[in-house]
Amino acid sequence: MTVLKGKLQHIIRDNREVPSLPFIGLGGLLLIVGMIGVLLVFSKGHEAVYGVSREVPWGLLIASYAYLVITSTGLAFIGGLGHAFGFASFAKMNRRIVVLAFITLLAGFTQIGMELGHPFRLMYLFLLSPQFKAPIVWMGIFYSIELLILGVELYLIFKPGPTSHRLSAFFGFLALLVGIIATSNLGFVFGSINARPFFHGIYFPIFLVVSGIVAGAALLLVIHNIVFKFRIEEKLTDSMQALGRLMGLGIGVMIFLYVWKFAVSLYVEPEGAVQAAYALLSGPLAAHFWIGEVGLALVLPLLLIILCRAGNSMVLGLAGLVYLLGLFFTRYDFIVAGQLPPMRQGFEGSGVHTVNGLAGYAPSPVEWMIFALGLGIFFVLYFLAERFLNLET
Amino acid sequence: MSAMKMNRRRFLGVSGGALAAATLGSGLGQLRAAEDSEDLSKFESQGNKVSIASNCAMCVNKCGIIAEVIDGRLHKINPNPEHVKSRGMLCAKGNAGAALPYSPDRLKRPLLRTGKRGEGKWKEISWEEAYRHAAEKLAELKKKYTNRSSVAFASTEGLQEEFFYYLVSGFGSLNTVRHPTLCLSTNIQGWSSVYGVYPDADLRHAEFVVMIGSDRAQSLITPDSVDFQRYKPKGQILVYLDPRFTETAAKADKWFAVKPRTDMAFTLAMTHVILQEELYDKAFVAENVHGFEQFREHIFSNEYTPEWAETKCDIPAEEIRWTARQFARHAPRSVIYPGRRSSFYAHEVYFRQTCAMLTAICGCWDVKGAVVPKSSVSLSSHTPLFPFFYDVEERVDKEAVGIVKKVVPSVVDCPLVGTGLPEDSCAFLSERDGSWITFREAVLHDEPYPVRGFFVFKQNPVQSVPNTSKTLKMMEKMDFICVIEQQMSDTAWYADLVLPHSTYLESWDPCHALSGIWPVVVARQPVIQPLFKTKTMFEISRGILKEMLTIPELWEDTDPEGLEDFKKTVMEEILDQPIQAYMEHQLSKYPGAYEQILEKGVFALSDQPQYGTTRKKGFRFKTKTGKIELFNERFQAKGLDPMPSYCEALRPRKEGEYRFLVGRTAWHTHSSTQNIPHLWEIMKENAIWINTEEARKLGIRNGDSCRVSSKAGQQTLKAYVTEKIRRDAVYYVNGWGRLSPGMSLVYKKGASEAEILEDTMDSISGSAAMHETYVTLEKA
Amino acid sequence: MLQPRYAIVLDTRKCLNCKACTVACKFENDVPVEDEAYRIWVTEMPLQGRFPHLHQEFQPSQCQHCENAPCEKVCPTRATFTTESGVVLVDYDKCILCKACMVACPYDARFVSLKHKAVEKCTMCIHRLLEGREPACVETCPTKVRVFGDLNDPESEVNRLLGSRNSYHLKPHQNTRPRLSYLG
Ligand SMILES: Nc1nc2c(c(=O)[nH]1)N[C@H]1C(S)=C(S)[C@@H](COP(=O)(O)OP(=O)(O)OC[C@H]3O[C@@H](n4cnc5c(=O)[nH]c(N)nc54)[C@H](O)[C@@H]3O)O[C@H]1N2
Ligand SMILES: Nc1nc2c(c(=O)[nH]1)N[C@H]1C(S)=C(S)[C@@H](COP(=O)(O)OP(=O)(O)OC[C@H]3O[C@@H](n4cnc5c(=O)[nH]c(N)nc54)[C@H](O)[C@@H]3O)O[C@H]1N2
Ligand code: SF4
Ligand code: SF4
Ligand code: SF4
Ligand code: SF4
Ligand code: SF4
Ligand SMILES: [Mo]
Repeated sequence: MTVLKGKLQHIIRDNREVPSLPFIGLGGLLLIVGMIGVLLVFSKGHEAVYGVSREVPWGLLIASYAYLVITSTGLAFIGGLGHAFGFASFAKMNRRIVVLAFITLLAGFTQIGMELGHPFRLMYLFLLSPQFKAPIVWMGIFYSIELLILGVELYLIFKPGPTSHRLSAFFGFLALLVGIIATSNLGFVFGSINARPFFHGIYFPIFLVVSGIVAGAALLLVIHNIVFKFRIEEKLTDSMQALGRLMGLGIGVMIFLYVWKFAVSLYVEPEGAVQAAYALLSGPLAAHFWIGEVGLALVLPLLLIILCRAGNSMVLGLAGLVYLLGLFFTRYDFIVAGQLPPMRQGFEGSGVHTVNGLAGYAPSPVEWMIFALGLGIFFVLYFLAERFLNLET
Repeated sequence: MSAMKMNRRRFLGVSGGALAAATLGSGLGQLRAAEDSEDLSKFESQGNKVSIASNCAMCVNKCGIIAEVIDGRLHKINPNPEHVKSRGMLCAKGNAGAALPYSPDRLKRPLLRTGKRGEGKWKEISWEEAYRHAAEKLAELKKKYTNRSSVAFASTEGLQEEFFYYLVSGFGSLNTVRHPTLCLSTNIQGWSSVYGVYPDADLRHAEFVVMIGSDRAQSLITPDSVDFQRYKPKGQILVYLDPRFTETAAKADKWFAVKPRTDMAFTLAMTHVILQEELYDKAFVAENVHGFEQFREHIFSNEYTPEWAETKCDIPAEEIRWTARQFARHAPRSVIYPGRRSSFYAHEVYFRQTCAMLTAICGCWDVKGAVVPKSSVSLSSHTPLFPFFYDVEERVDKEAVGIVKKVVPSVVDCPLVGTGLPEDSCAFLSERDGSWITFREAVLHDEPYPVRGFFVFKQNPVQSVPNTSKTLKMMEKMDFICVIEQQMSDTAWYADLVLPHSTYLESWDPCHALSGIWPVVVARQPVIQPLFKTKTMFEISRGILKEMLTIPELWEDTDPEGLEDFKKTVMEEILDQPIQAYMEHQLSKYPGAYEQILEKGVFALSDQPQYGTTRKKGFRFKTKTGKIELFNERFQAKGLDPMPSYCEALRPRKEGEYRFLVGRTAWHTHSSTQNIPHLWEIMKENAIWINTEEARKLGIRNGDSCRVSSKAGQQTLKAYVTEKIRRDAVYYVNGWGRLSPGMSLVYKKGASEAEILEDTMDSISGSAAMHETYVTLEKA
Repeated sequence: MLQPRYAIVLDTRKCLNCKACTVACKFENDVPVEDEAYRIWVTEMPLQGRFPHLHQEFQPSQCQHCENAPCEKVCPTRATFTTESGVVLVDYDKCILCKACMVACPYDARFVSLKHKAVEKCTMCIHRLLEGREPACVETCPTKVRVFGDLNDPESEVNRLLGSRNSYHLKPHQNTRPRLSYLG
């Protein structure tokens, strides 16, 4: 052990400065809840314990999957900016970025793994019988590559001895590029669905990339505030400010996208899209939309950023936290809203169940438990890393 | 058992010649199997598949089935394309029959009551004990009341019913009650009073069809429900009268939301138009009709004009006129559809008469596209000789003179004087069928003697006879009740001894000639072996009669020769033989027919429609005059109106009252099928239809819980607020609100019809008049 | 001989809303009694008009066996595929239950099958077709609303019907090119 420790000294340490234990504890609790969820899924079967239905086949777990993996690619994007495009203020956080991105992606994979009915089949069928027309295949391919690249990056940042700048720049660039492709592909998984007008088109590929980058920035702001107990070192303040500006800019673009998305849906009233839009504005998802999406993910963080002129790291951390909370609603809402307008009207005999012309969905307790699993993995792994790894770049 | 092994890639149906090809029609001949280059072996059916032909028993129609049994388990019931009557169709219920044998709620062994009646405490006993118990009880009842008619026997049609009658006749009671007075007896009597028979309608070839309260799209009758849409001739016009917008109304060219109980004004006015405009078939009338002049005079002098009718039935005079003219124009290919269930109103026989008479004056009789008397394939009958008993009294519903006036309360309320209806007893009571309402009333009043034993076969009177509380009271009076059932029906729930009957899929059922325009013979063979210790009526009658023969007191009031004849002709020659022998004898006139029945499930002499038997020179109709009677001599003789006059409602509707209507859904049979999951899931409970405007008035919204009350009882169920019904009527379907926990899916779900239906009746036929019921409604 | 192109033509005017087809399908294909488990449905279209001038249609339907099948395109594992004769099928062993096809199907024709632990839908009764028999829903229908046949056979009833009467597809704007046609 000591020998090992000696050898790996530059990576392993026991960092008692970082307040990691409470988060590891919290993560542990979430993990336990999540494991119970896993047991329930395997003993009773997905169908019995999940709240998804024939009309709304994708629910909370697709949302949590998207939430986590897109945040991961957002992080990778910021990492890539630092490495490949010389944004020094981002390069300074590189180790944290890579570790965070890697762990967030892993956490995201747990969500899709538990969502799929046959996750193991997926592994060999993607090799044996891929359907290259299917966006999910590309999403799978690119997220796998992303995981690989992040793995290599992890190796590079922790391997003993210096790494050539070009090599890390190359991988940073790759992570950024593949990240964008993967996320926009995830957007395309929805965007390709002609049957669901709210999803259909290029809106979500773009929106997910932008909101994901903002999420990456937000997560970095939050994490740094935690790690430094709200007293972020001097040398990182410019990084924080850069992140804050990135966030502000990103939220601005998001608002722009929102406005046009809703303008198109409400003025043109495309069948299906307009119902989804109303579901958000004044329907069953209105509270989520106005409080979560608009309040927490757009208005409040933007206000905070503007008020502190992207200067105060603590306020920025708060903005990041609020955004991350709000973004969860954003992810959830877009997935659910797109599926609420039914493919067939809920007339007598149709078999379709609707209320006020919309299908319904509410996550089941077990779905929440699986979400807890993802968060648990994130907290445990990441704060173990903070505690025992040297994440200072 | 004839088992046809299905070869892969061979279609069963097409082997059967011209008819099969004709009924298939969909170019199946060209259907080729998918290319072999593709490996679709994964999608092939698995297991050892055997197909067996038989006939459906999920309702009265007896459609052809081909059961597909895979590895010994009934997997699917397919329609039989060679069945001339069912035309290769199988309805939802027919399909769902495949779940019947496997129902967890099935009766599996004989059950003897141990707790109080209706408490649900049972002891499983052996069949030997069950037979013995039933026989001993019969002996006890006979001894106690010294009258065999003190035991009543209730049943509904079915291929095993004749063996129930072996038991009845072996015991010797005259008190039998069957379903017709809940169902079609007024129809039979109305049409028969004119033609001597109750005919069918050739919907396949008719050009103009008037359907009055016969919901053929939902109340399935083969071949009519098939023909009226599948083969609808180009240009055929369908006019439909119903206070509800039913699925048939949705198919009709014209729907008249007739005011309940006033159809007679419509038919009389049609007649008026046709007579006045001299659109009738003069030659046909001259040759075949008795009483035309009186009839014309009757119609004219009463001034049954369309304008008059409009005030009664809410159908515009112009529409009535149009219908009448169209009817006459298309004659003889015009049909006033005789329909089936007609347990609607008092006076119903008179109304049905008007339909028959309208048909007669236009000569729409016994030709292609018209109303046609049923033909039949004649079977060889057995000659069972039953003993003559001395300790027997005449049927209660016949003997209890004055019972109509005295005991049917709704009739007491509304004196029948001057209504053309008999007040003392039913005018024309069918011997076997009896009159359920009168019968029950007589039993309740011990008039003219006590009835204390009750055997029930394939009937669920607790749900099918109006006014459940009276039926239950009648059952309470019984010393002994034995119910032969396949599920724990509500009636079985209140029994003392429940005998489990095999399903039609596990039993040999004797041949039955189904008469009609396309007459066929059907029979049944087991498609699977009985899953439990159930038996058929054939076996049950044998079992009980055998035990009865060991009890000497049961045979004291008969002469020994009669008894010997019985033992020989019934026990030895029929019941002790395999039932297949019985069936072979039935078909003995037609060589090869028995084999054909086993192979194809059906036997017919022709696949062509049969017309014209009564059009032959010198044909005598089975009426008093031998002619088609527009002036009814038998009615005259009985003191009834010889010609139908419009009759007002027994009791006018009061403010806040709604007329309660009875009707069906296509996916349930009466109270039989609600517990079958595949049918139950289509509609999990019933709801009361109420017109949008009325609902608004009452503050009832769709889905609200409502309380419905009538003189007979009260029920609570959900509201279905709809434009599909008149404002003065409400409706819900039969079969819910069940009293028996043995019907687990529908126990206490929704509401029972029988519990709120009043027991008014038509005293000509003794038929229940279910739609005479008024209800009030409030939000619960 | 040309490869058959199977199709179903429906004449809804004949439909009684009797549900024989839906029940037949459940037995034929062992689809359990469960709210969301059905391959075929008969919709009661909204009542038109006001009492007593009413009109109502019944619309039976099932998987449209689209020639341009969105469900197939989004299926990552080729579990969903189209046979040479145009029947869209799911190879249950290849389905990973990602449910993309369910979201992508414009007709809500698919559901998760507990029996197959995969997504399932109408197979056009492929097992019957392999035996030279009609689909169960086609066979059982009292009024023969559905006619099954081969579009490549000029003599077939489906071609005769499509040739002699107007027909339409459900949701034509989705450009799915269904093999189910409705007579106008
Ligand atoms: N309220 C109300 N009453 C009605 C009607 C209505 O619509 N509403 N309709 C009327 C009409 S038209 C009719 S014909 C009658 C029908 O009335 P019933 O003849 O009483 O018919 P079901 O209600 O179907 O009950 C038949 C019983 O027989 C059982 N059964 C079925 N098959 C077999 C078998 O093979 N063997 C044995 N032993 N039992 C079997 C079933 O389980 C069921 O319990 O009801 C009439 N009464
Ligand atoms: N699916 C199914 N099919 C069946 C049966 C079943 O239980 N289920 N039972 C079989 C049997 S035994 C029978 S007897 C037949 C019965 O079948 P039908 O003879 O068609 O009788 P119902 O369906 O009982 O009632 C027919 C219609 O009469 C309407 N009606 C009520 N009052 C009036 C009125 O005053 N005037 C007019 N014009 N119409 C009125 C009702 O709204 C209802 O729609 O069905 C047979 N077929
Ligand atoms: S109508 Fe339906 S239930 Fe009645 S016999 Fe025919 S298939 Fe069976
Ligand atoms: S079986 Fe035929 S008539 Fe009945 S609901 Fe289905 S399509 Fe309509
Ligand atoms: S209807 Fe739906 S399931 Fe069927 S082929 Fe088209 S898209 Fe696929
Ligand atoms: S759920 Fe199954 S059939 Fe549907 S897209 Fe996914 S793998 Fe293909
Ligand atoms: S074709 Fe077969 S699988 Fe498809 S709906 Fe009809 S019965 Fe069901
Ligand atoms: Mo009946």
